[in-house]
Amino acid sequence: MDGQRVAYWAAEAEVDEDLEDVDLNLAIGNFGQTDQYEDAKSHIDETTLLAVQQQMAQQAFAQIPDVVKRFIVHFYQAVQENNLAEISVSYESGWNRLTEKYYAKTEWPEAELIAPLVNDDPIFLILYRELYYRHVYSRLQPNLDDRFHSYENSCELFNYLLNSDGPVTLELPEQWLWDIVDEFIYQYQSFSVWRSKAGSKTEEELTSLGDGGQPWSSYSVLNVLYSLIQKSRVHEYINAVQEGKTQEEIGEVVGEFGSLPLYRMLGYFSILGLLRVHTMLGDFTLALKSMENVELNQKSSLTRVTACHVSTYYYVGFSYMMLRRYTDATRTFVTILNLILRMRQYHTRSYQYDQINKTADRMYALFAICNALSPSRLDDNILNIVKERFGEQVTKMSRGEEGIPAFEELFTYACPKFVAANPPPYEDADALAAYLEDTHIDPAQRHLKNFIADVRARLSVPTLRSFLKLYTSLGTKKLAGFLDTDEEEMVQQLMVLKQASRSIGRMGSEKGLLDGSTVSNNDLNFVIDENMVHITESTVGRRYAGWFIRNTEHAQRVYDGLKNSPLPLPIKPANTQPQQQPGQPQQSQPPAQVKTVAWGGVKTLG
Amino acid sequence: MPGPTSSWVCPPERTQIIENLVSGVGESKQTHLKGIRVVYCGSLDRYNPSNIGILEDYLYQQTRSEEYDCLANLAILKLYQFNPTLYNSDVVIHILIKALTSAPFPDFYLCVSLLDERPSSANADEPDPLPSILPQLQQLYALLQQCRFPAFWTLYLSEEYRVLREEYTVESVSFEDSVRKVVVRAVKAAFTKIGVKRLSSYFNLEETASEAFVSKLGWSIEDGVVIVPPNPDNQIQSTVVQETIALPRTFTSLLRILPHIPADGRVIELVKVITHAARTA
Repeated sequence: MDGQRVAYWAAEAEVDEDLEDVDLNLAIGNFGQTDQYEDAKSHIDETTLLAVQQQMAQQAFAQIPDVVKRFIVHFYQAVQENNLAEISVSYESGWNRLTEKYYAKTEWPEAELIAPLVNDDPIFLILYRELYYRHVYSRLQPNLDDRFHSYENSCELFNYLLNSDGPVTLELPEQWLWDIVDEFIYQYQSFSVWRSKAGSKTEEELTSLGDGGQPWSSYSVLNVLYSLIQKSRVHEYINAVQEGKTQEEIGEVVGEFGSLPLYRMLGYFSILGLLRVHTMLGDFTLALKSMENVELNQKSSLTRVTACHVSTYYYVGFSYMMLRRYTDATRTFVTILNLILRMRQYHTRSYQYDQINKTADRMYALFAICNALSPSRLDDNILNIVKERFGEQVTKMSRGEEGIPAFEELFTYACPKFVAANPPPYEDADALAAYLEDTHIDPAQRHLKNFIADVRARLSVPTLRSFLKLYTSLGTKKLAGFLDTDEEEMVQQLMVLKQASRSIGRMGSEKGLLDGSTVSNNDLNFVIDENMVHITESTVGRRYAGWFIRNTEHAQRVYDGLKNSPLPLPIKPANTQPQQQPGQPQQSQPPAQVKTVAWGGVKTLG
Repeated sequence: MPGPTSSWVCPPERTQIIENLVSGVGESKQTHLKGIRVVYCGSLDRYNPSNIGILEDYLYQQTRSEEYDCLANLAILKLYQFNPTLYNSDVVIHILIKALTSAPFPDFYLCVSLLDERPSSANADEPDPLPSILPQLQQLYALLQQCRFPAFWTLYLSEEYRVLREEYTVESVSFEDSVRKVVVRAVKAAFTKIGVKRLSSYFNLEETASEAFVSKLGWSIEDGVVIVPPNPDNQIQSTVVQETIALPRTFTSLLRILPHIPADGRVIELVKVITHAARTA
């Protein structure tokens, strides 16, 4: 049969082909057929799989609302064209609006999914992922993969910026650049906090964490920040600007990278990032030292991004507080809090408004602490707000030992998130087991303890001060009697009081934030002449300027009002006034009284 | 006189090498991060663990003399913080002892802030002395902060603190004198005159030794009373702080606020308006 069949096939092929060839083909074909079948089967499986996947992807893609797709395409085009205005619109309003509408509780579509919309542009996809993960961190609960991948994505972004052959041509709005640096540090902090909770990790998380390849290590984060600073030569830039060099000279100093706004701003924001990272790690000296060249004033570049402005002052103020430079801390908080008050009307619509307000609230709390330790009358307005918000704690804090919980409460509420520089020993199961058995104090508690120690050392200060205020001179024995303490003990407390009324503070002309001179921070001054205390008090004279400015402003309003109001009929008021006067003699007095009240007000202002 | 912080930020004894380490002036190099893809890395000397030796030697030099460089010592603690394997408890304790007497700077707190929690030492044969010494140092520091000098000496010289004295502070040259300097600082600010007896209890010295100590400072003694020379902190004077505002500024702000009132001409009208404003305010 076989033979016949072959013959038959062969016969047919014979018509135009060589017999032998056909045979060969046929033989191969026979073998091949089975193979082909197998192949085909697996092929089908794969294709169906692919098809299914594709279908799912298509479905997922189809599920992306059209408006979102259009947004992404538009966004991509804006980035392609380096159109800063359009990027800002997409970034600041478009993204947030669509988040509210479609992704309030779920992730944005994955980058792979939207890749076709943006020509698979790797840079845009990195930027997209940056937003994607930021959204996950802020709105949802990031899982292990998110944490690792967001780190990888940040590394890719920084690699692209720093390790390309030359400066890249990408341009992004300053707000976004700030957010990139800010978010990078936030995710580092979030990871460190999560990592330090060794007790609540799943098996899978433990394996990944023990794997050695630690993402988000403190070293790598600092590396990125220092690299951005060095690449952009931003310190050199700031110095050159301060020295008043020309644009050309500056260009020469900062090189090809630093000349571009993208690098310059990233470098600049990285300095502020260092401030934050060092604070989180408990190195308050280095935090302020890294700000060496940055000028904290209203003209400095940091004011251009409000979130950055507020955050910087918060960390500077906090670091001052931890350096026990309460006057400097107070001044820092007052400056920025006043600014926030003034900005309030313009910023209510900003998506960062909530964040800024939260930071402001924490600064009011820190202000309350500083003011309790070193009272100043720098700004009555801020002080009043603090009393409104934290009235209870403010009262308690002046009551010695009783006030300690109030200090603790405010500190815990208002301090930044602290992180431990090193993870628990995940790589070593035994060590980890031992680690879990120990009790651990988290970094915030350590810093709190440390801070409270200083508070405790000054506990006697408010009481002693209020006593001294009543006298111009007083024997130490008598004073000890009033306070119901031992005389020697009390003399020692007086030395504490003296030290508490001196502090290191900036006078205004210093360059670095760490510089300062000894300043007196209290009106009350005293000296001990063996066993006699002599007390004097400095008073602040009347302050006219503010009063005049306020009243001039008021005068202008009155003047404008007068000018705009119709002329009164001349006779009528002349008639009514004498009529009132005899009838109600009290009525004529108020003007005089009002006058004294207004001037009396000045006295209390002084 | 330069501000007190300048020698704190950069003491005169600091060498250029140390300055480079502390201020982090370093060559930027391309390096690979552990396990992670390459990030362009300014490998700053400050974070380079191999520099620990230089800084530790510098600390040794400080303990052998009266020099002190807080920022350099903080740099050591920073390296320990990031590289727990480098950790050396003796070095940490010496840093803390140095920081103990650095009034008016809060160096002690700053140093303690950088002591991250350590994993419990794996080496049980040689227990880490820090956990037992640290609370003692904190206690002593609290007493200094509270100017409770006699209590400081009692505690410091107690049996409980023998290890601290015999193994650590003994190494630190003139530790006791540096405590006395803290006393001098506190006394100088608060007193114009102080009894020798009281001062001696602060110094933990015999009265004659105290007298010798203060004469070296140039203070004079009369009938058992030490006269503290006048200085900005023990001179009291009731003052009235007056607001000083440069005239141009007030004027320009006035002019800005009141653009339509000529400044020279109708001053009387302006006064009237202000008076009216005061009444209605």
